[in-house]
Amino acid sequence: MPTRKQSVPTAALGILMPILLIGLSLFIGRYDLAPGDILSILFQPGHWMSDPDRAIEYSLVHEIRLPRALLAFMVGGALSVSGGALQGLFRNPLVDSGMLGVSTGAGFGACLGIVLFQNAFMVYALAFCFGLLAVVLSYLAGRIYDTAPTVTLVLGGVVISSIFSALISFMKFVADPMEKLPTITFWLMGSLSRANFQEMFVALIPILLGVAGIMLVRWRINVLSLGEREARALGVDTRLCRILLIACTSVATAGAVCVSGTIGWIGLIIPHMVRLLVGNDNRVLLPLSLSFGGCFLILIDLIARSIADTEIPIGVLTALVGGPFFIVILKRTKGGGSW
Amino acid sequence: MSVLQVEKLTFAYGENQVLRGIDFQVGPGEIFCIFGTNGCGKTTLLDCILGLNTPDCGRIAINRNPAKALSPAMTARQVAYVSQKSDRTFPYTVLEIVLMGRTAYTGLFSSPGKADVEMAEAALESVGMQDFSRRIFTRLSGGETQLVKIARALAQETPLILFDEPTTHLDFRHELNIIQHIMKVVREKGVSVVMATHAPNHAFFFESHGMPTRVALMQDGRFGAIGTPSEVLTPTNMAKVFKVVTKRFNNEEGDMLHQFLMPVDFCEPHEDPNPPQP
Repeated sequence: MPTRKQSVPTAALGILMPILLIGLSLFIGRYDLAPGDILSILFQPGHWMSDPDRAIEYSLVHEIRLPRALLAFMVGGALSVSGGALQGLFRNPLVDSGMLGVSTGAGFGACLGIVLFQNAFMVYALAFCFGLLAVVLSYLAGRIYDTAPTVTLVLGGVVISSIFSALISFMKFVADPMEKLPTITFWLMGSLSRANFQEMFVALIPILLGVAGIMLVRWRINVLSLGEREARALGVDTRLCRILLIACTSVATAGAVCVSGTIGWIGLIIPHMVRLLVGNDNRVLLPLSLSFGGCFLILIDLIARSIADTEIPIGVLTALVGGPFFIVILKRTKGGGSW
Repeated sequence: MSVLQVEKLTFAYGENQVLRGIDFQVGPGEIFCIFGTNGCGKTTLLDCILGLNTPDCGRIAINRNPAKALSPAMTARQVAYVSQKSDRTFPYTVLEIVLMGRTAYTGLFSSPGKADVEMAEAALESVGMQDFSRRIFTRLSGGETQLVKIARALAQETPLILFDEPTTHLDFRHELNIIQHIMKVVREKGVSVVMATHAPNHAFFFESHGMPTRVALMQDGRFGAIGTPSEVLTPTNMAKVFKVVTKRFNNEEGDMLHQFLMPVDFCEPHEDPNPPQP
């Protein structure tokens, strides 16, 4: 638990960093725009909107770069908070946001949407619904043996994930190899290239609901991570909290994954980075994971869209950049005196 | 008036009947030790009191509140629990662990406040662990871990604390420290204690230090005998329950009588295929 002295700069860092990065991401992109013009677009939008010759610059900043940065923040934050919360709930540091099958379920839903419909909205809707369906199935599978709910839930998650993985493979097999298979493949590697305000609002509602729910019970996650017996003895309604957390993390993750595609690693590694920096108290850990996860994905997306001529899928970069980054933090903090 | 009242309690895990009609009461400021063989149902009984197991028959009342009518948070305001060992998945600080004792007093959507932190710090101080508050709980020794858990139980502010074999794996010094702290808690806070234990000498120790102490001898889900340590912890009863020959020693020092019980042999070594662990 950070002291009051430590918590003020930590909170400031958590708030300022995303604002700075979102600001920075407006200035970086393939289309060459002078920094002065970008500032002018931001602070005097009227000039740019009214001039048809300059409308493209205006829409580039306001309708592409800004929603994309905001979406990256929301998706990264949601995955990271969900992963951190599930690590506490399952008392397992190796758990991530996709533990209960939500990512593979959403992947299958998206494949179905791509194969059956051409409509982007149907892809979101099916990805979201199948993400949640996978969690419900994992929960039901985990309840077959009632004696060790968390262990069997993890097992249920593994089984349902593998079933949906198989279904994804099947969808790839039947998809039109010229047209739809590449779309499926790129979706599964994760991308924010489709980002716009409409897409941002699609994701905003579930992410907001899920993350708010997790934040509200974050003290209870501390107690739950001591184990069922101790948590009950300390006065936690473990069943209610477990259901609440599974529902919130699933809604937030499904909301994120349905617009971004499968992005692994963030839900696993960002909470651990934050643990190394501020310890394990979820009251501090989860809000900071939201901020760090969001910032991390903004950075990754910046790299993805500016390092090469074509966009690199985000799912490829999260591990490539995140792995060494994590090792550097581990080395610098020497485990943060924590593990 | 009793703090804990257990009547005709029965409990089974499926077909396996574990508790077969348990009756006892614990008064305010009393230490009640449950002594019995491995697997006789001590922990199951504690779990029933904590609300972790729902009894098949019988009744449990804590401070005259029927246990089955209490929510987890309400139960945790009546009874605290010090386990034998702790899960060590995440390395919380000592203060965070003790602060978790305040959970029953915080709403589902809220966290402990400043007053709770002060209470947790006071609880740590009362077990002499105030300098450990920023230390990592998972890196403490066994004895220190138990002291922190006693502090957490104190932060819970309950009239009753359950201890499940609190001195297992501890060296002499830490064992004495824990036992003395249990006495201190009972004396200073007027808390009642129910303690599942394998150490009969702890009950004698409490008795010789003038604590109101009773012992229940548990066998096969029943209490074979209930009474003061001197009455219950006799070689005859030990032979009956553990199938071991024991010697009881008395040592008088001034006005204090120290008593000890020690196993010296098996009763029927050839007929007992599973001699109890010493």
